[in-house]
Amino acid sequence: MRSLLQIEQITVEYATESGPLRALDGASLNVAAGETVGIVGESGSGKSTLALTIGRILPAYASHVAGDVIFDGYSVFAHSTSEMRSFRRDELGFIFQNPVSALDPTMRVKYQLAHILDVKSSDPSIMSQLDRVGLKDVERVANRFPHELSGGMAQRVVIALAIARGPRLLIADEPTSSLDSTIRDQILELLFALPAQTGATLLLFTHDLRSVAKYCDRVAVMYGGNVIEHGPANKIFSRPVHPYTEALLKAAPGAEEIGGKIEAIPGRPPILRGRSEQCPFAPRCRWVVDICRHQRPVAQTVDGRLVSCHRAEEMASVAPACQIIGANHAS
Amino acid sequence: MKVPFRGDFLSRLAVVLLISLLLLGFVGPSLPVGDPAAIAFGPRLSPPAPGWLMGTDNLGRTMLPRVLQGIRITFVLAATPVLITSVLAVVIGMLAGYLGGWFDELVARLADVLFAFPSLLLGLILVAIMGPGVRGITAAIILITLPLMVRVVRATTLTIASRDYVAASRVSGASLARLLLVHLLPNIAGAVVVQATFTISVSMLIESGLSFLGIGVQPPVASLGSLVQNGSVYLVQAPWLALAPGVFLALAIFAVNLLGDGLRDRLDPLEAHGLK
Amino acid sequence: MGYLGYLRFAMERLASAILTLLGVSILVFTAIHLIPGSYEAVMLGPQAPEAARERLREKYGLDDPLPQQYMRWLLAFLGGDMGIALCRSQQSIGQQACENADQAPIIAEFARRAPATIQLAFMAAAIANLVGIPLGILAGLSAGSRTVRGSSRAISALGMGIPSFVLGTLFVYVFSVHDLGLTVGGYVPLSEDPEANLRAMVLPAITLSIFGTALFARTTRDAVLTVLAEPFIMAAVARGESPRQIVRRHVLRNAAIPVVTVSAVNMGYLLGGAAIAELLFSVPGFGWYVLAAIHKRDYAVVQAGVLVAAVAFVAVNLLADLAYAIIDPRTIRRGRG
Repeated sequence: MRSLLQIEQITVEYATESGPLRALDGASLNVAAGETVGIVGESGSGKSTLALTIGRILPAYASHVAGDVIFDGYSVFAHSTSEMRSFRRDELGFIFQNPVSALDPTMRVKYQLAHILDVKSSDPSIMSQLDRVGLKDVERVANRFPHELSGGMAQRVVIALAIARGPRLLIADEPTSSLDSTIRDQILELLFALPAQTGATLLLFTHDLRSVAKYCDRVAVMYGGNVIEHGPANKIFSRPVHPYTEALLKAAPGAEEIGGKIEAIPGRPPILRGRSEQCPFAPRCRWVVDICRHQRPVAQTVDGRLVSCHRAEEMASVAPACQIIGANHAS
Repeated sequence: MKVPFRGDFLSRLAVVLLISLLLLGFVGPSLPVGDPAAIAFGPRLSPPAPGWLMGTDNLGRTMLPRVLQGIRITFVLAATPVLITSVLAVVIGMLAGYLGGWFDELVARLADVLFAFPSLLLGLILVAIMGPGVRGITAAIILITLPLMVRVVRATTLTIASRDYVAASRVSGASLARLLLVHLLPNIAGAVVVQATFTISVSMLIESGLSFLGIGVQPPVASLGSLVQNGSVYLVQAPWLALAPGVFLALAIFAVNLLGDGLRDRLDPLEAHGLK
Repeated sequence: MGYLGYLRFAMERLASAILTLLGVSILVFTAIHLIPGSYEAVMLGPQAPEAARERLREKYGLDDPLPQQYMRWLLAFLGGDMGIALCRSQQSIGQQACENADQAPIIAEFARRAPATIQLAFMAAAIANLVGIPLGILAGLSAGSRTVRGSSRAISALGMGIPSFVLGTLFVYVFSVHDLGLTVGGYVPLSEDPEANLRAMVLPAITLSIFGTALFARTTRDAVLTVLAEPFIMAAVARGESPRQIVRRHVLRNAAIPVVTVSAVNMGYLLGGAAIAELLFSVPGFGWYVLAAIHKRDYAVVQAGVLVAAVAFVAVNLLADLAYAIIDPRTIRRGRG
């Protein structure tokens, strides 16, 4: 399949009072057109930074140290500011965690859509966009202010804004974590129905392994600013190779909240001040050997997925099938 | 020792300015600069000269010690009511924020009524009733600054009181006094200090404004504001009479404002860093 | 919701404003009664003839209980009867023309003087808005630079720190010594000679505006910074909006909210500060009149002046609240915080 997005050895640092903090430490990810990829990891693994890096919308105190993001053959970092703007406008669609705060509180919904579509606020295309995201009573929603919408409705509006110009890449950063659990699935179903219709590519950055297992074609697991395992969702969920992925899946009992349980993995995620010269998971890994502490593992293909682990081959041969989440994996 | 305001040039400037002004005001008059009350110390309306570095006024009094005294009086008249306001506001605001209910409602209503008066106007009416002088302006400044200070304390109290550890210690049976003094007071202290600093500059503006209008401090006491007023009568013949105290007054308020900004950045980071 | 919701919100704010004004009137009424001496002596002066005292006693029913007196007083006031100004010319300040004002109804005197003060306040508010808001926007948008941050902080501390009478005194000095085209004093009503009027009003208006300018600049800057940090700004960037579009569509509108609130604060300042500017530049306005009344202990004028100013201030606040709710529709649901 043709590759739409190539993230190559991307490294991003934040300036803090105590010196630079490395959020992405040479992460790589290859996404083919039309795929749906779930990117999972703990808080601090670099997920959000990766999402923002693709659109080059990092805050001012972040700096792009090395690596590249290539969209459809062109480097995102080579764009001029105006090229970048039209790239964001026409090719990308961002969906943020808190839908109400992602909407301008002083503007009725129809005007926010009108600005994006470049049409008058009375244009019928506004209603059809709202209709597309499954909103009922679109006239009323169009005339409302964001604070008058429920969380689920607001997220539908945010999705409508994101897909209004037919982007090829949708980036959803924790799109359901601020919503009631009852409407999470509705929003996710909407989110995944759209790429199926338009052929867009979807990146879902989330804590929620269950929704990734349920909806995504592929999974990328992030740890310490790196993608440590990346491959087809069914393969990874049924038989994780990286020890961290394994621990993550074991810490996630089926349908329950993931966040709280991850502490079951002993130790804390690393705080990087510069390039890590070891496997970032080494201090917490129960399979750790000497080389893990001295050399960064290189990504290798093992059992149909890319894994960054010195003992990947061994792990693939001994690791037991993980049924916990794999059992839910229907698609 | 930790250097205060490291890397914050303006706040350091403010501290240096304030210390210099306080030294001038409190130590200056006891230096051999002449008797501020002595009439015909020099010729009338003389420009600055070696014997009278800031010139002389219409009665031939030397201005230098008068201005130095004015600095002291301005600071004292501004700081005293702010101190009283702060104490009152902490008590009222904490109780209102913590207890809520009718007391909170009453405090909010009273604050609204006081807020309905423009500050200088409130000063004018209070002085009109109590008569010009220190008592009048002190009362005026307290009443003008109290409502805002109470609101700040109340709002901060509400934020802190909703935190878990306060609830926890309430559940464990701590007394009201203990809750307020041990758990709330230390946490609102920063906001109070910041607000009090800004309030000092507000009260300097009010005191000097009223004194300039002739209804603040009364002779023989002279603050910087009343010195400007005295001088403004002879503005064309002897501009230094009004401009010298005016410059010191502006410097004092400028320094207090700058310090307030610096303190807010340090003590009240929630307020300060809109941009993150 | 919608317009009905707004109407309800407006009625609530109106009711609350009326309540506040009732509180103010009770406060003023009580304060006047707390002044030592009989009410007649306070209002008319110690030398007033017995006939005048009798008239006053009858008018306000001074033998009745206080609440009834208050009602009579309030009703008279609402009917436009603010009483009669007192005159003790030997204690007056400035060239307060006592002969003209003698025994004139206060409301007539207020009406005569209001235009000058209103013009002054409007000019000062206009200057403060036109200078302060653009400065604040500029400072907020370029806050990434250390130099801009430092200098805008210093300028605002200075602007809010320099008392208007110090600046005004400086103006009086400079413009009396040098002929720079603007006059110090020499007020002419706008309707008589607009050019001479403007020449005389520019300096007092600038003097009066300096605090508001600094206040607006500072508030706007903080508001812009706060808005820039909001998630919807990042969302707008992520949608490919240009900085100009973002500023025009999102930043200005959202930053206007605190700026509108501060306009009311500034208005309050203008009401009090006008007295200083009027005194310095001999503008025969409302503030100067009330100030002179304070000096003369003319409590009838003071009480009327305070009430009129409070009504103006509360009205401006009410307008600000109503405007606020249009710009920020969240206010209506939240009610007041």
